[in-house]
Formats: sequence, structure tokens, C-alpha cells
Amino acid sequence: MTLGFGILEIVVSLAAMLSAAAGLTWVERRLLGFWQDRAGPNRVGPFGTLQAVADGVKLLFKQDWIPPFADRGVFILAPAAGMATVLLGFAVIPVTAGWSVAGHLNVGILFFLAMTSLGVYSVVLGGWASNNKFALLGGMRAAAQMVSYEVFMGLSLLGTVMLAHSFSLVDIVMAQGRMWFIVPQFLGFVTFLLAGIAETHRLPFDLPEGENELGAGFHTEYSGMKFGMFFIAEYAGIVLIASMITTLFLGGWLGPVLPPVVWFLLKTGLTICFFILLRAALPRPRYDQLMMFGWKVLLPVCLLNVAVTGAAILLFSPTG
Amino acid sequence: MNALFTLAAIVAVISTTMVVTRTVAVHALLYLVVSLLAVATVFFTLGAAFAAALEVIIYAGAIMILFVFVVMMLNLDRDDADRENTWLTPRVWAGPALLSAVLAGELLYAGIAGHGTIVAAREVGPVQVGLALFGPYLLAVELASLLLLAGLISAYHLGRDSGRGG
Amino acid sequence: MDQTVVRSESIPKVRPAGSAPAPVQEVRDDVETLWVSRETAGDVLTRLKRSAPTRMMLFDITAIDERQRTHRAGQPDSDFTIVYHLMQFDRASKAPHREVRIKVALLMASLTMPSMVDIWPNANWYEREIFDLFGIHFSGHPDLRRILTPPTWTTHPLRKDHYARATEMKPYDLTEDREFAEQEALRFNPEAWGMQRRSANSDFMFLNLGPNHPSVHGVFRIVLQLEGEEIVEAVPDIGFHHRGAEKMGERQSWHSYIPYTDRIDYLGGVMNNFPYVMAVEQLAGITVPPRAEMIRVMLAELFRLASHLVFYGTMSQDVGQLSPVFYMFTDRERVFEIIEAICGFRMHPAWFRIGGVAADLPQGWDTLIRSFLDYLPKRLDEYEKLVMRNRLFKARTVGVGAYSLDEAIEWGITGPGLRACGLDWDYRRRHPYSCYDQLEFDIPVAQKGDCYDRVVVHIAEMRQSLRIIRQCLDQMPGGPVKADHPLTTPPPRAKTMHDIETLITHFLNVSWGPVIPAGEARACVEATKGLNSYYLVSDGGTMSYRTRIRTPSFAHLQMIPLISRGTYIADLIAIIGSIDFVMADVDR
Repeated sequence: MTLGFGILEIVVSLAAMLSAAAGLTWVERRLLGFWQDRAGPNRVGPFGTLQAVADGVKLLFKQDWIPPFADRGVFILAPAAGMATVLLGFAVIPVTAGWSVAGHLNVGILFFLAMTSLGVYSVVLGGWASNNKFALLGGMRAAAQMVSYEVFMGLSLLGTVMLAHSFSLVDIVMAQGRMWFIVPQFLGFVTFLLAGIAETHRLPFDLPEGENELGAGFHTEYSGMKFGMFFIAEYAGIVLIASMITTLFLGGWLGPVLPPVVWFLLKTGLTICFFILLRAALPRPRYDQLMMFGWKVLLPVCLLNVAVTGAAILLFSPTG
Repeated sequence: MNALFTLAAIVAVISTTMVVTRTVAVHALLYLVVSLLAVATVFFTLGAAFAAALEVIIYAGAIMILFVFVVMMLNLDRDDADRENTWLTPRVWAGPALLSAVLAGELLYAGIAGHGTIVAAREVGPVQVGLALFGPYLLAVELASLLLLAGLISAYHLGRDSGRGG
Repeated sequence: MDQTVVRSESIPKVRPAGSAPAPVQEVRDDVETLWVSRETAGDVLTRLKRSAPTRMMLFDITAIDERQRTHRAGQPDSDFTIVYHLMQFDRASKAPHREVRIKVALLMASLTMPSMVDIWPNANWYEREIFDLFGIHFSGHPDLRRILTPPTWTTHPLRKDHYARATEMKPYDLTEDREFAEQEALRFNPEAWGMQRRSANSDFMFLNLGPNHPSVHGVFRIVLQLEGEEIVEAVPDIGFHHRGAEKMGERQSWHSYIPYTDRIDYLGGVMNNFPYVMAVEQLAGITVPPRAEMIRVMLAELFRLASHLVFYGTMSQDVGQLSPVFYMFTDRERVFEIIEAICGFRMHPAWFRIGGVAADLPQGWDTLIRSFLDYLPKRLDEYEKLVMRNRLFKARTVGVGAYSLDEAIEWGITGPGLRACGLDWDYRRRHPYSCYDQLEFDIPVAQKGDCYDRVVVHIAEMRQSLRIIRQCLDQMPGGPVKADHPLTTPPPRAKTMHDIETLITHFLNVSWGPVIPAGEARACVEATKGLNSYYLVSDGGTMSYRTRIRTPSFAHLQMIPLISRGTYIADLIAIIGSIDFVMADVDR
């Protein structure tokens, strides 16, 4: 692989990612509208598809305002950090066997976890730098919630890694030739899904924002494109988690008849729709209930899953 | 590879200096995070990808976040930053700086003279790390886990609501 | 309507030992009205409260500026009269309903009244309101600050010598000094709110929830003293929505004030007209024809549905559920379709008239309502699954913001919030007004008095409202929709064309407004959010001498600190959502 081709691949992937995230805002609003007996955005372009473009233009032309009481440097850094970590996370996602920026990285999963754990900074620093009490409360909620759920996210993946004997995402997809990991690793799948929602702080786990409680939480003081970056980073985060679920538990690009790319996109798309459906359906738990649920339910379940998977491998594997 | 290593090392040194000289606690912490990321990159260029990933996840992603969390709760303001400023007099930093300079010189000498060669000996992946930890170092791992458990229990004990009264 | 004179046999019960019998005042409603002296008032109120086994709620405290009142025959000399309105809350539904009005005369020379906060905690806000609007001092009050007007306000708007219109005052100008002073007055000082800055081991955080916040349902501010996310103290700050509705009542004709009432509880529509026109009818001695009564009840129940649907949707929205509010607003649109077909308006129809309603029901009204009655129950079943059985919703609301029945009565809680504590007390049943005595309905109750139970009661009430509306549909009597009485406004038009007398009354009632005989009356209804009462004083003119609007939301908000201490911010949002208030109803 030449350097030029590698760069081209990165650029194409990034462009695809960003437009997917922007388009997702439209998809989400239309789906929510459909589920809530209303139209959703349907004016800009055919079926409202250009809504994301209109929103982007609006955000770009808004005054780029930084509150005088904010910590200027950190205030600017926070959304950028959020965006960067999410986009870097995509580097290890293998869309197909041949198409991924760093899918063969032998610590692929760890790289993904590292990027999500750095993503916390964006929310926490955004909340701190705004110098606003609602934002600060949002930031503190984010720190506690995301650091905790990172633990479960990491643990929930261990079973998968044990089954695939590798941290590399391409190897993990390859190992699902006979059976998708969602079957033997169902507990892992559920815990990863929940942790994924908490990591992307989406309803029902959107406590750092919690508009009914904290106004807009950590991004209360943000407007214009800096807000837009938080916004896009959130949607890119959904795409990232959905891609990870596809890769780790739903057999990635594997599937009959259709080309691998289509399979990957189909599975990811359906997972994203499920995320949106959750948002439409569920109320938000209270902060302490969320933490309690994490440490008292998810953690034991994860540990149990790891122990059982390990025992099963030892029992059934030919090498012992 | 060598160029990447050198770059990362320089970033690490600069950001660590910044950590010491910042008066706003969060800024210092941010530089510390950058420093840790740079060290992770150093590990990566040396072939220890696993260690690099753990460095980011555990140090940068978890421990430093907790530091930031605490600083956020402390509600430090302009006065605190000014007080920090007054603490940073030459008399305070001259000693450590001198000693560090000696160490840096030593390192430089070793590098130039070629006593300690910087080469990626071999790639250390997760498998090797796992085998090492649960092979020759099993006892150390178990001891460390016991220590962590003790830490966990005592943290729980200290953090219980009894602290409300004072 | 009933015009019974006070039952005199009840007087000895409230007479303080050793003093002369309290003079009884004749009023045009059925509330025992007694004058007591300032010195004995506390004693009398204490006795009334302790007259177990019944429980007395301090329903309302208000004041009347008597200085320009001409028809005061038989009443003690008074410049300002403080009026305490008590209401009895019994478990046994057969017990006779009892309301008592205690009046205390104050003279200009000493406008001071002992505070009753020690007897009833909910006297607090009422006394602050009187202090604010009338300038009467309450000695012993723990926190006598202005409540509805800003702290920089200098006058007492409900005094008779205070201007009522912008044309009666000098043009407003904001000088630099004054702007600075206003800004300074906004500076937050925790001590002034009864809060400490720090405890032994932590600094508290002060959070200004509102006046502009998505979950405070209007312009309402709660100042929070937080330790982490735990609420140490919450102090509600109201008055941002104050429009002087009571003052306007003194400058509008009896008839033209009706549209103002719609906007008191702006979700309640004609439910607000109801107590007002009933009070005027009591003063005027008008008997409303049965068809008008039933139309009123039917429309009021439709508005109860509309209001409860909003409550249900916003409550689930407040705990973070996105979708139900859209479904419920769609259903509310169906209610408004019916109301629009009947009244021509949607939210604020101002449809009731003194002596009846504005017009007869339109053709086809019954099919509209019937199809709605078949439609809504299925939707409610669906919402039951979507919201009430949702485990996250339960986790957020069960056991949160609970108060006991005793606390509820102590703090003046009425309506669904009271019935959620297990007391089947409904004004429509205890003191039937209009044609409620001819209708069958149950009074839903719940036991725990927490947020969840309040929602449960609201939902059950919606089903009862549907039941009432169906009965109205089936039993709607024929006949006129306006009383044949000279003070009916506007009078039935057909008659004006026959004789000069009715033409003259029509002309006068429409141009000047009806002249309502002097007297006092209150009318109370079980409104959407609790008991809403209008206490009217007529001095025999075309305008009310004093209009007192007692709203349920005012009382309910006062209780927020009690039930939110020690909870989390998220709980507070659930509590606020479950209280079911609108700020227009609080501030008036």
C-alpha cells in the first residue's frame, strides 16, 4: 500500500463519515417524526434531504461567539477534541476485508477504547471551560457516567476477544464466519450496546445534556459551528458505535449474495435505527440510578460473561 | 520511525515542562494528558503497541479524567491562579531544574555516544504481554491485584457517607 | 343559586372564650362570615383548626381596601379588612360541607396584623401577597418580602388610591441611576434567601433554575442550594407572570371581565369562567336554566381533559420521554376541534355569560363529541403501556416528592394532588355546583401521594370526565341557554324586540354593563388543578369593588421546598412536572 493511496483512503473515509453523520441528523428527525405522528423536516430538497445542508450553512454563518467569562483556549479545544477522537476511532473499523484505514492493527479494539476514553475530555472540558453552572453539572455528570461505562464497555468486549483470539477487528470479523458473535456473546452484546449509548450520551442516557434538567448541559454556552462540532461528533459517535456493534457482534461485512459493503452498511444502518427508536421510546433514568445500574448490574454481568466464556473456551477448545 | 520517536519525545518533554509552569490547574492537567499521549506514541514507535494503548486508556482516559473531575469540583478561581504564580519563584524551581538538566545531559550523552541504542527490538503485542504477565510474573500480578483490592475497599470505606459530619 | 343566610347556630363554636359574640355578616353565598378583632383572630383561628375531628384548611387569605366602599351597613369600621377563608376537609363524604370566613378590621393608623404562619404554614405566601399588594404589615412573619412585584417596587397596587391604568401615571423612564439600582437588586445574595454559603465540609453551589428553563412550565424561578446534585434548600420565586388580574377586575365591567378569567389558568379555558360567573350570579340572584348548566359542565369537563392531556404529556417529557407528548397534544387537538365547533375559539373561548352561555350548541355537536368519546379511551389504554408501566418512568416517579395527607391539608393542597394522598375529596361532590348533583362519577384516589400517584389520579380523572361528558350528551335538556333575568348579560335578544323595558336593560347592560346589587359572594369550582374560587365584592356598581382569585397553583408551589429538600435536581424536575401548575394561575 503506497502512502498516497493510504491518504486517499483516509480522506474518502473521513468524507463518508462526516456526510453520514450529517445525513443522520436528517434520518433521525424523519424517523422520530414518523414514530411521533408528525412530519419531521420535509421542506428543504426532496423529502427534506437537504435539511442537513441547510442546518450546516446556518451553523457556519452564525456568529462565532465565545462567552467573555469562558476559558477561551479550552473552550475552543473541547469540541475539536470530541470530533477528533470520534473520527480517529473510525480508523480501525473494517468496512470490508480490504477497506479500512488500520483494521489490521493488532490492538484495534484497544485503540477504539482509547479513543472513546479520550472523547470524555471533550464533554468534561466543554462543561468546565464554559464557566456556567449548568454546563459544569453536565460536565461532572459526563465524567462520572462515561468513565464508569468505559469500564463496562471494555469488559463487555473481552468475551469477543477471547473467542476470536485477537484484538484486531479484521480477525474478529473473520472469526464470525460460522456464527455471529451475537449468539455466543449475547450478554456482551447487550452490555456493549448499553455502554455504547452511555458513551455517546444519547437518550435515555443523555444525562450530561439532560435538557429537561440542565438546559443543554455541557454545551449550554456553545453556539454556531462549535456547537455544530459537538452535534456532529455525537452523531458520528452513534455511527461509530453502530459500526463497532456490526463488526464485533453482527459479522461485519460477512453475508450472502450481496456485496460486503452493502452488508456492512445495512447492518450498521439498522443498528442506528435501533438507537433512534430507543431515543423515541424511553424516559431518562436519574443520575444515581444510572450509576447504580452500571456498577451493580452491568459490572457483574460483564464479569460473569468473561468467566463463563473463558471456562467454555477451556472446556471445548481442542488445545485445552 | 526514528523521526516519529524523536518528535514524540520532544512533545513529551515540552508538554511536561508546561505542566509544571501552568498556573491554571486544568491547563496543567491538559498538558499532562498531552505528555502521556506523547509517551504512548513513544511506546508505539518502539513496537509496544499494547502498552501504548493501555497508557492512553488508563492514564489519559481514566486517571487524568478523575483529576479533571476533582479540579472541576474544587471551584478554583483567579485568586488561586495568582497564588500559584507567587509560588513559582526561581528559588523554588532552580534546584529541580538543575538536577533535571544533569539527567538530560546524561541521556543526551548516552544517545550520542551510542551506549543505549534506540531501536525497535521486536514488536510486543498483546499475546506476548499476556504470556509474560501470567507466566514469569504471575506472582507480581497477583500481588498487585491484592493491593488494588485493598485500595478499593479502603476507598469505599473512606468515601462512605459518614464523612458528612466532618 | 343558593342565597342562604349564615347559620347563626354555628357561631358559638368559634367564639373565643370570654369575649362578646362575634358579629355575623350577611353575605350572598353560604359561607359563615364572622368579624373578630385583631387581638382574638389568632385565638379563633387556632380553635377552628383544633376543632377536631374535622380538618380545617386555610383556603385563602386576602384583604379588601374598604376606604371607598359605600355599602357597608352593619359591618365594623375598617379601612382594610383581612379575610381568612377556611374550608373543612373530612374523610366521611356524608359530613356537611363547611366553610368559614373570618374578617378582621384594620384601621389606617395601625396596619399591622399578627402573622398566622405558626398556625398554618401556608399563610406565609398569602401574607406576603397582602403585604406586597396592600402594604399591610404582618408581625412575626419569618420572611416578609414582596412576592409578586419586584423587590424594587415601591407602591401597593391593590390599594384603591393606586392607579390602575398606564394613562393614570407619569410616563415611565429608566434613568441610569435607576437602571443601576435595578441591576443591583438582582444580585444574588444567599443570606437574603435564608441560605448558607458553606457547611462544615463543603461549599454549596447555588443554581438559578429559571425564570427561563425548559422544565419550569413558564416563567418561574427556583433558587437551589446544592451539595453536588443534592438539593439542600429550594426557594421558589414567583411573580414574573403577574398581570394584576385582580386589579383589572376593578376596572372592567362585570361582563367584560369574563375574557380575563380565561387567561388565569390558560390551560383551563372556560373552567375559569365558571366560578366567576357563578359568583356574579349569586350576587345578582340569577338562576341559570338547566340546559345552560349542562353545557357549562360539559365544556368544563372537556377543558379538564385538554388540561390533563397536557399535564400527562409534559410530565413524561419532563422525565425525558420524548414521544408521548406528541400523541397527547394530538388528542388535545381533537378536544379543541370540539370546543372550536361549539365556541368558535380554541384555548380561551370566554364562552360563559352572566346567566348562561353565549349561544346554543351548534348542529351536529353530539356526533363530534360521541366520536371523540369512542376515540380517547383506546388511546389512554395505549399511553398506560407507554408511560405508566414503563419501568424507567416508575423509577423516576414512585416514591419521589411524596407528602402525607396531613401535610397536604396543612399546605392548602387541593385537586389531584390532594386525592393522590388517599382522600376522596372533590368539590363537585362535597358541595355540588351547577348540575354536578345530577351526574354520576367516581372520585379517583391514590394512596402514596408521590409523583407517580399524582399522575395516576390525573389519568383516572380523565376517564371520569369522559363519563360525565357522555352523560351530558345523553341527558342534555332542552330549553333556553340564558336566564330570563334583567341582569343576564347580554340578555336574550329575541325579547328586546317586544317591549321597551327589556330593550332598555339590553342597552344598559351592553353599553355600561349590568349593575350588580351590593354584597359579597364567592364561588368555587373543582378546576383542572385544584380548587379555584372567585370572591367578589360588589358595591352596587357596574364594576366589581374587589375581585379575589384564589388559584390552586399558588398554594401548590409554596410546598415545593418541603418536598424537594434532600432530593436530586432530576427529582425536582419530576416533582415540578407532577404538581401540574401554570404560572399564569400562580401569579394572576
